[in-house]
Amino acid sequence: MRLYELQRRGVPACLATITSAVGSTPREAGAKMIVCADGTTYGSVGGGCGENKVRSAALRCLLRTKKPELLEVDLTDDIGTKGGDVCGGKMWIFVEPA
Amino acid sequence: MKYLPEILGLLSKEETFCLATILATAGQGVAAGQKAIVRPDGSIKGDSWPDAFAAALRALALEALAGGQSRSAEVEPGVPAFFDIISTAPCLLICGAGHIAMPLARFARETGFSVTVLDDRPDFANLARFPGCRAIAEAFVPALRGLPLGPSSYVVVITRGHEHDSECLAEILRKETAYVGLIGSRRRGRLVLETLGRKGISAERLGEVFTPIGVPIGAESPEEIALSIAAELVCIRRSGASPARALRPGRGKLND
Repeated sequence: MRLYELQRRGVPACLATITSAVGSTPREAGAKMIVCADGTTYGSVGGGCGENKVRSAALRCLLRTKKPELLEVDLTDDIGTKGGDVCGGKMWIFVEPA
Repeated sequence: MKYLPEILGLLSKEETFCLATILATAGQGVAAGQKAIVRPDGSIKGDSWPDAFAAALRALALEALAGGQSRSAEVEPGVPAFFDIISTAPCLLICGAGHIAMPLARFARETGFSVTVLDDRPDFANLARFPGCRAIAEAFVPALRGLPLGPSSYVVVITRGHEHDSECLAEILRKETAYVGLIGSRRRGRLVLETLGRKGISAERLGEVFTPIGVPIGAESPEEIALSIAAELVCIRRSGASPARALRPGRGKLND
């Protein structure tokens, strides 16, 4: 619905979808986030650094490659790792021009 | 996205379907980002692929639909696809537009429910009190007869009195729903359900009613009670009825 609204307004956007998740992850397969060219996001694929990686990939896809990409996001850092995610799982996220 | 109009069309008909997306480019006209919509009747609409590939994808989509959960699977060795199960937002119907209904409508909307509020008092069931909801100010029974309730409907019965609760439940329990919750103490709930049993509602269906309503968190204020009800709705939606029942104490005072 939101995607339709953005398209109607002519806002370029990228769709990121969790396609699989193993171990402990903040969201499950099917969770989605829309990233617009100005960096605005709607929805969430789990927050934190992982989500930031997805946002960067989405902007790369929107502004440069225009091609879909399957990202692996690893949340298995140890406690104490600076800025890492420690949930314990891994997820794969498909980023595509919407 | 190429198939957005089709997707919106199916959602407006409240149909659940599978949106399959190819995740890797594999040659032979199969490329990352290609999509197909597979409906529960097996019809497929999407990008064109070799027949055998389309058939394999369709079979996996139907499997995912039967399982009810979005997942990835390989259509061919080395060619993964994501099978996303897409359905309309679950609908919450709140019978009774009093103090608890307002925060409940707000929490439910924010957690992804599309909310309808029904009360026979126009001063209560209106959009000023329930922004972003559908507010119906009509007598309970005729309004309930006209409302489409189904397997994705969640119903919370919190009217101002047990007579209204009973008449609402008598209508609601004739239809299949994902959830029915009834406010009130254990005693009030039991009395209402006994009345309905005498009116011919099966014991099995009556046993599905969540009463006392809500996850027991010791809620007291209307907002706290609404939060405990919203938590129950989320639990039913994400985990199912059995885990939601498991949160309820055998006996005890919380939320009674």
